[in-house]
Amino acid sequence: MKKRLLIILIGICVVAMMAAPLIMTGCGEEKETTAPTTQPTTTVPEGKPADYYTKEYILIGASRPLSGANAPIGDAAYGPVMKMWEEKVNADGGIFVADYDRKLPIKFIIYDDATDIGTMVRLTEKLILEDEVDLLFSACGTAFISAQAPIANKYSKLLITAEGGATTMRESLPGLPYVFVSLPFSDHYQLPVFADMCAAKGAKTAYIISIADLHGVEYGGVANMEFGRVGIDVIANKSVPITYTDFSLLVKEAKAADPDVFCVFAYPPIVLPVTGEMMAIGFNPPAVIMGPGANFGFYGLSFGGDPLVVEGVTCFAAANSKTSPEFAEAFAALEELVGWANLDWWGAPYYLPLVEIIEQAIVATGTLDNDVLRDYIATHHFDTILGDTYFEMFGEGGGLMVKETHPGEIGQWQNGIVEIVGGGDWPAVVLTSEWVYPKPDWPAP
Amino acid sequence: MDTTRFKSKGFYIPGIITLIIFAGLVTLPLFGSLYNVILITTLLMYANLTVSWVLFSGLTGYMSLATAAFFGVGIYASALFLPITGAELPILVVVLIGGLASSIIAFGAGALTLRLRGIYFTIFTFGLVVLIMELLNWWELSVNKILNRYIMLVDNNYIFYVMLGLFVLVMLTFFFIRRSKFGLAMRSIGENEEAASHMGINVTMVKIVTFAISAFFMGATGAIWATKLSYINPHEAFKVLISFLPVLMAIFGGMGHIYGPVIGAVIFAYLQETLQTKFSEIYMLSFGVVLVLAILYMPHGLVGLIQKVWRRISGGKRVHT
Repeated sequence: MKKRLLIILIGICVVAMMAAPLIMTGCGEEKETTAPTTQPTTTVPEGKPADYYTKEYILIGASRPLSGANAPIGDAAYGPVMKMWEEKVNADGGIFVADYDRKLPIKFIIYDDATDIGTMVRLTEKLILEDEVDLLFSACGTAFISAQAPIANKYSKLLITAEGGATTMRESLPGLPYVFVSLPFSDHYQLPVFADMCAAKGAKTAYIISIADLHGVEYGGVANMEFGRVGIDVIANKSVPITYTDFSLLVKEAKAADPDVFCVFAYPPIVLPVTGEMMAIGFNPPAVIMGPGANFGFYGLSFGGDPLVVEGVTCFAAANSKTSPEFAEAFAALEELVGWANLDWWGAPYYLPLVEIIEQAIVATGTLDNDVLRDYIATHHFDTILGDTYFEMFGEGGGLMVKETHPGEIGQWQNGIVEIVGGGDWPAVVLTSEWVYPKPDWPAP
Repeated sequence: MDTTRFKSKGFYIPGIITLIIFAGLVTLPLFGSLYNVILITTLLMYANLTVSWVLFSGLTGYMSLATAAFFGVGIYASALFLPITGAELPILVVVLIGGLASSIIAFGAGALTLRLRGIYFTIFTFGLVVLIMELLNWWELSVNKILNRYIMLVDNNYIFYVMLGLFVLVMLTFFFIRRSKFGLAMRSIGENEEAASHMGINVTMVKIVTFAISAFFMGATGAIWATKLSYINPHEAFKVLISFLPVLMAIFGGMGHIYGPVIGAVIFAYLQETLQTKFSEIYMLSFGVVLVLAILYMPHGLVGLIQKVWRRISGGKRVHT
């Protein structure tokens, strides 16, 4: 008898657990878009959304790396721009949405994916299906946006990706109509520019270390090709596991090879110790390029707090405060918000226009309908901090922000800041300094 | 097989409850939201892994950390046969391939190493995860020149039903093995392997076969789970955390009863989901606290706690499960 009761008790527990999410959903838990109505008896005007009277804000969801290996990038890249945009928009009373005949402030739901792709996928589905966000914002990292893009597309949710390259994803873009890529990456158009710069300075050999993930594979592969194109001999192209922690041997080997160009295509947890190891053993090749990592303020402060220590290190960067008065204002605002250490001279110049594009598309179309927004973004040019900004569309598929919008591709630490030293041959390019080659010696210990 | 136990009332009531739960799950896509279907698919995935783990480790006492290896092999089965460009084989066939491939690896690895005992076996199984992951990483980078693989997205309801089907299969397997002579042999091995051997049990064969059966369900679960991920690489497919979670879930639920691992997996995964989304800032902290408390105050898991509470309610008499 007791055994049976015990089993019943356990059974009830299981049923209760299974039913809990259903009950919670049934009760409309946290369905913030269905807040108490102010005019419950008024009929919604014809052609207006069902939540015409009740909608309080534009709900935006993002699965971001608040912890884990990508957290330093998330903190310093798209994260600050999202925060700044939210404050600015809400200080103005919101974005005017014609469908609602009023301004709606924006509100973010941000979940921590703990730098785990499986978690990010699950949270992205939760944002779309349960939280019913109006807009989905990008995850962080090349592999992450590669995984998120098909999910967003599956649910017809507009996704303009932020941190992450798309060398591989570009092949899938024709089948991903809701996906737009904003950030420049390896062959679009950073490494072709960098290879030309190296060749122009007479570099003959290159040594490449790349992390064994999608980012490293893309950059390592493209660098191999681009250096080959300009006649630079790639003497080593080493892939290191993500879990690698001791870089002394690796850096010693690179030093012994005596390359003209040393490339480290990895994340901050690798870029920072490799830099430290290079300083420790006095490995100072004429050109050193690293990223992502060297494009953030914290890189300059990581070796005793003085950015002059990393003088001459080359990185991927698009714009700085000297690029234009608009960028000067934007970087000053970002610095005030998140501090100099969290400034990003590669990504921020594209995330700033990214949110502008979304805002302008909402105002122009007067709707939060993702199908309408997608079509508008696919077919229009936008006036943003970059100037004329638009996407190259892949047939009926997704889009890639055209290289002609890029103000720069390559940066270099000079006098304690990242100067823009390399770019393409299109009118939008604004170089703020000459590339210093060979790079100066590391300071004496 | 002794069939009298199936005729007793003690079998009918839990059987009816199980049927009600099963009916609720089968009809879930009809009345539940799509997100709830996805959520319960996740819970079922963890339940499958945990029950599969208990099927071998719980009964034999051999602590295996190879779950991630078999799960990852299943994921790669989908990556090979269900690419984003279109399915090369029916999904259920791929699930079967994932399970069989894992089983074969488990059989081979088991034949080589199940003579190892204790910590040596545990370390070997953990090494197996790293070995397969790094081998695959090397193969993808050096031979295929790619690291990422895209997998076709499958309808969420379909994934749910396949996961549910696997859950039913693994539970039935667990149920019948526990009650069979084979299960008795496994428990004997868990109690005292030498004694079991002297009794005439072919301990190596029993261990290898069970290891392979357990791996089959892990691989099959990985294969269908992969269709949710859309993108994988070796590090994503062979996450070592997947080896540890079923252990924690089984301990959390309690391994002394057939429902224990299921309850542990379901609550654990649900807790993870809730804490991660509702209290993201203190997620890891609160998750850690719950785990420590569970280990300290529930040495026999949640089921053990329920039994303890029941004993107190019923006046200190022993409850037999």
